[in-house]
Amino acid sequence: MRVALAILIKDLISEWRSRDRVVAMLLFSILMAVVFHFALPDQRPEAMRDLFPGLLWTAYLFASLLGLNRSFALELENDALSGLALAPGNRGWIFLGKASANFVLISTVQLLTASVFALLYDVDLIPVVPALAAVVMLGTAGISCVGTLLAAMAVRTRFREILLPLLLLPALFPILSGAVSGSQAAFAGETLPFEVIQLLIVADGVYLVIGFLGFDYVLDE
Amino acid sequence: MKRADAAILADSRSEDRIPSALEDRVRRWLRPLGALLALLCALYAWAVIAAPIDSTQGVIQKILYVHPPLAYGGYLGFVVTGLAGILYLWRGREDLDRLAISGAEVGLVFSTLMLITGPIWARGTWGVWWSWDARLTVTLLLWFVYLAYLLLRSFGGQNPRTARFAAIYGVLGVALIPLNYYVIEAFGSRSMHPENLQSGSLGTGMGWPFLLGNLTLGLAFVYLLLLRWDVEAGRAMEALDDAAAMGDDN
Repeated sequence: MRVALAILIKDLISEWRSRDRVVAMLLFSILMAVVFHFALPDQRPEAMRDLFPGLLWTAYLFASLLGLNRSFALELENDALSGLALAPGNRGWIFLGKASANFVLISTVQLLTASVFALLYDVDLIPVVPALAAVVMLGTAGISCVGTLLAAMAVRTRFREILLPLLLLPALFPILSGAVSGSQAAFAGETLPFEVIQLLIVADGVYLVIGFLGFDYVLDE
Repeated sequence: MKRADAAILADSRSEDRIPSALEDRVRRWLRPLGALLALLCALYAWAVIAAPIDSTQGVIQKILYVHPPLAYGGYLGFVVTGLAGILYLWRGREDLDRLAISGAEVGLVFSTLMLITGPIWARGTWGVWWSWDARLTVTLLLWFVYLAYLLLRSFGGQNPRTARFAAIYGVLGVALIPLNYYVIEAFGSRSMHPENLQSGSLGTGMGWPFLLGNLTLGLAFVYLLLLRWDVEAGRAMEALDDAAAMGDDN
């Protein structure tokens, strides 16, 4: 537990000092907003608002990929990953620390992205904040868990940046479909459907368990 | 051979040998299984040709004798990969890792053929090649997971680390099957795909070819799985011999 906390703090401090990943992810997300504008020209504002949850999650997903790809890059320098593996205690806690750091990072970017998207597409975010935040947090927990596990694998193969999306995207289908329909319900002003919350929690749980137990074998040298 | 090497060999468990005791047994079964499969294939082909032509769907209905068994094989391959992966992580037996590769590759062949035969039938019956139907979506995702698994294997190279990564990904893939099904249940997508067959839903004269199809393709799955396993054991043996030859040169 203490290991997880130490790694979380270490990752956040190193990110705070460089701010590389946050800036890159955020810029990428804003660029996505511009890309959507050109990809879906001549949309009426109302139609754009219907598409909004899907567009937002597309941006979230690809920005997360960008950030996750770099989450172990720093650990490769000076063989820091082997040093991490030597940390006492269950290696599941290392996973948890890394995953929570990714969660904080991705959530920060998501918050800023949502604000930019809302400004650019003229969507009123304020009334939907509580419901949307709940869905986004649950969805991001899943993305961080499975993304951290797979990033730790992908970073030690050839073509690492290419491999991660190929591994991660098929695994994220349950999260993505749950998160998008949950966000749609939030934007429509409905109460969140029970199935969505249940699905997101179950999927998060499955990813968390596989990541916690599997990380032992990922770091094993 | 040096004395120390001999001692190591004598000490090693039977499952650490290449081929392992299990793989030796598999090799002995290949020939009789292959002969039986050849016989069944001939029977099966004849049964499909001789089966009556469906009065509403026409000749395209005969895909029914091929498509469902391919789907079973596709799913079974992933279950084999997942289970072999868990056992490999748990016991560290490399022969089971070789079985996991075989499960993924044979499963990919089966599910690819399923994804080819399905749309052909759908085009003839539904009028479209593809529909985002529950089953279709889930099997397509499963197919992508298979591909990602094999890419992970090939990008990682031949080493124990890649084997461990692949085993974890295989377990993740198996866990995804019920999750994906749950998604489809919960959000109730359109369903055009026929339900699993219930007894009596086949026309007269169609039951036998269908049963024979399941039997033949089921056996084909087992045979190809074991054959692929044997090939992988052979490769591992060759790699070991190469390493030994390199060692002698020095």
